[in-house]
This record gives sequence, structure tokens and C-alpha cells, in this order.
Amino acid sequence: MLKAEHISVLLENRQVLNDLSCTFRAGEFWGIIGQNGAGKSTLLQCLAGLLAPNQGQVLVDNEDMHQLDPLSRAQKVAYLMQEQEPSLAFSVYQAVEMGRYPWPDNPENRHRVTEQTLTACRIDQLKNRSILQLSGGERRKVEIATCFAQNSDYLLLDEPFNHLDVVYQRFLVKKLQAIARDKAVVMVCHDINVVAKYCTHVLMLLGDDCYLSGDSATMLNKANLEELFDESQ
Amino acid sequence: MQTRQWLKRPWIWWLFLLLALIVSVSVGSVALPLNQLFNPDSITYSIVWQLRIPRALNAMLVGGSLALAGLLIQNLVKNPLADPYLLGVSGGAASCQLLVIMLGLSLSAEALFLIGFGGSLLATLLVLKLSYHGRIKPNKVTLNGVVMAFGFAAIISFMLSLADGQQIRSMMFWLMGDLSFAQPSWLMVVILGLCYFLLRQQHTALDLLARGELFARKSGVHAERLNLMVFVMTALLTSMAVAQAGTIGFVGLIIPHIVRLLVGYQHRHLLSVTILAGALFLLIADTLARTVLSPIQLPVGIFTALVGVPVFLVLSRKI
Repeated sequence: MLKAEHISVLLENRQVLNDLSCTFRAGEFWGIIGQNGAGKSTLLQCLAGLLAPNQGQVLVDNEDMHQLDPLSRAQKVAYLMQEQEPSLAFSVYQAVEMGRYPWPDNPENRHRVTEQTLTACRIDQLKNRSILQLSGGERRKVEIATCFAQNSDYLLLDEPFNHLDVVYQRFLVKKLQAIARDKAVVMVCHDINVVAKYCTHVLMLLGDDCYLSGDSATMLNKANLEELFDESQ
Repeated sequence: MQTRQWLKRPWIWWLFLLLALIVSVSVGSVALPLNQLFNPDSITYSIVWQLRIPRALNAMLVGGSLALAGLLIQNLVKNPLADPYLLGVSGGAASCQLLVIMLGLSLSAEALFLIGFGGSLLATLLVLKLSYHGRIKPNKVTLNGVVMAFGFAAIISFMLSLADGQQIRSMMFWLMGDLSFAQPSWLMVVILGLCYFLLRQQHTALDLLARGELFARKSGVHAERLNLMVFVMTALLTSMAVAQAGTIGFVGLIIPHIVRLLVGYQHRHLLSVTILAGALFLLIADTLARTVLSPIQLPVGIFTALVGVPVFLVLSRKI
């Protein structure tokens, strides 16, 4: 159970989140929606333990996220950044293998899991290429695969479908749905149709410190969506 | 990515280093009969064992330290133009030591070493302190380091303009690097060895850090602690090198780039090969510096660039 308890975040004197509470359980597939600047990415970073909230706390399996050491935190939670900064020319294989960092694998096991993940994410034919020579979409697939290789209980994804073609988008969302059968998947997504069709739960950041959460069938009603699309925000 | 598998093996580099050492010791302004090498009364014996071998070991130690420091600082600030002197080390050490030379104080080599070491550590602490806002911010380090370097350059130019002819010559030598000055120091062996040992344990974490601090943190690396450790190591290694041999340029900038082109980006291979390649490179440059116009000895800094630039350009075209 990953739990945000009354968290508030101030970034450079701007109140980004104010008193937000929400609980994410295994078996749930969450979509977080809201307009730009509503605090979706900030929330995800708090849940991933990368940003300490100014007030409130994040609990993972009843432990305070910010008391955990980085390794056990990464064993619990995998996080996909919205944009990965460009870096050195590691190979795709090496990049995906980095997802195994939190786990004390032996080399054979590490190799096996990395190969399996590459195949499962349909990028095994890229494995010897440099990550700098990939297209934007291919690089996104590598970043997602790195998160999958981490094999954590909670998967937090910031706009996972960015740069991906429609075929892979559909493949990915079905894969996430499958993962969410025994883990918790939380994704920030701007595509309401995808959220409505695949997510079991939804968290709406509506601005003015108004947060609504619940199962997607009841939450995505006309009144809430009108609020979400309100152009005066 | 074409990396050369055989170049990833450290023993190959040890072999190169041994060959270079033999060549370096046997050439010089005085031709030496090799059969006298182990005769303690001969002139050969004293030149080889008291002059050339200590100087060659010094070159290897300084070269290895600077190259490792360069690899670390480029990883920390994510800037390919960064070199170990970015932390203000060279300026701090140079200012203090030049002041001593200019004041005409006749200090022992050890005292001059300690003054340089102290000056460089002070300057580094200043840069790191200015870049500390809850944690050390790498992009602040870059900016503060460059700005501080300009400040120190002005102080150094000021001192040079006040110095007389004989002083200027010894100052210039020092500013461009001079390996004939000091004996190889055991402290440096220990620090370099210790840094390598500690970094070797963290080689995967260093790979992750190279992909960005946030990436490293989200993957489970204790990035704040690693950053701090690596900054301290860079400062120590560079301060030692500068105090030992002056500000030898270019090794810390170019060797990490060359080694990455040769063996790839994983620190599993990078760490050892960078140290060994830096040692090899500075040994060759120093051998050239003292033999090309012998008996005149040239500052080694000239040859690090003269050798390094073409090597880098050829490699970056080929790979």
C-alpha cells in the first residue's frame, strides 16, 4: 500500500500541492489527470520518494518513505521520469541492466532478467545500439524497460506514452494493465480516453487545491470532466 | 559502439607502462652504458636510480591522479569540458606557491608541497561552499569554478608582472608543470590506491550517476553521499598532483575522453584504464619534454597538449 497522507509541497514559494491524501493498492491501475502545472509530476516525485513534502508524509507498506535508505526505496518503487536528460552513450542492454541496481543479483540472474525484459518490451533487436543513436520513441521504450527490469511493487509512470507510436501505446497500456493485476501502477496521462478505458481508478487534480479520487467509472462523470476541462483554470 | 575488448584488460596497460618506463629511463641527455646499471659506484647507477626512475614514477603518479580526477569531475558536473582544475585547485595552489617563490623564501620541497596542497584545498572548499545549497549543485560548481579561476588568473598575472626575470622563469616552469621538482610521494600512492579501491566498489553507481543525478537517485543510488565522496576525492587527487608537479594541463581533460572512446562508458573498465592511461601519457610527455631539445628541459605541459591533441583527433575520427 502506497499512501500519501495530507501532503503539501512548496516549490520556490509556490504552493504546488496542498493537503492531498490518496492510497494506492496492489491490483489497482491509477490514472492521474489534470491540467499543466496542476502538480501531477510533483506528486509522482513525492510518491517515488525523490521529493520530500513540506508537510504530511508518504507511507509505503506502512513505512515512512523518507526514512528508507535509497536501495530499499528503489526495491519498493520504480519511477519513470517525464523526460530523461541526455547522457553518455551506454548501450541499450547496459541501460536496461541499470534497472537491476537495487537488487543483489548474481551476474547470471542479472543477465537473464535483463534479456527477458528486453524481449518482453520488444526491444531486444536494439540491445547493442547506443542509447544516443535511438529515436525519441525508441529511447522512451528503453526507459520504460529499465523501470520494468527494476521489478518493484509500485510502478509510477510520468506520461509513459510520450513519443511512442500508436501500436506501441496500445501494447504498453495492455502490459501495464496486466502488471496492475498484482502490483500497483500509477500513471500520469493526458489521454482521458485511455484512462477511462483501462484505468481502474483515477485521481483528478482540478486546481484550487481540489483533488478527487475514486474508481474511474464513477469519477469520470460529466460534472467532473467539465471541471477538468474548465478553461478559466 | 566499437570498443576494443583487449584494451579493457588492465594488464595490457601495465605492459605499455612498463615498456614506456624502460624507454624513458634509458633515454636522456646523458647516454648510459646499461651494463653499469646495478653497479652502485657508477654514474649510471645514480642517474637511473636517483634521477630518472623517481621522476618517471612521479610522472606516472601525477598522470594517473589527474586522469582519474578528470574522469570524476566530468561525471559530476556532466560537462565534457570540465577538467580537475575546475574546482579552483590549480589557482589556489599556484597563487600560494608563486607567492613563496616571489618573496624569495627558500623553503624545502616538502614545505612548498604543503603550501601548495593547503592553498588548493582552501580554494576547493571555497568553490564547494559557494555551490552548496542544501546539497552540492553540480551546475553551480561549474560556474563558480570558472569564475574563481578567472580571479586566481588575475592574481597570478599580477604576481608575474611584479616578478623579475629569473623568478619569472621558475614561475613559468611551475605554471606549466614541472616533474623534476619533487620526489614521488608515498602519500600519493596511498591516496590514489584508496580512491581507486573505494570507487571500484561503486562502479555501477557511478554509471548510474553519469546518466543524471535524478536517474541515479530513482534507481536506488545514495546520490548525495556519492557526489560528496567523489568531490572530495577529486579535490584530494588534484591538490596532490598540483602540489607535486605544478599545473600540468590537458591530462585530466583529454585522457578520460580518449579512454571512453577506447573502452566504452562503464566504470567497471573506465576506472583502472583511465589511471593507467593517464600514467602512461604523462610518462611519455615528460620523456619527450626532457629529451627533444636535450640538454634543455622543456615544461611538460607543452607536450601533454602537443601529444594529446593529435591522438584525440585521430581517435575521435576513427571511432
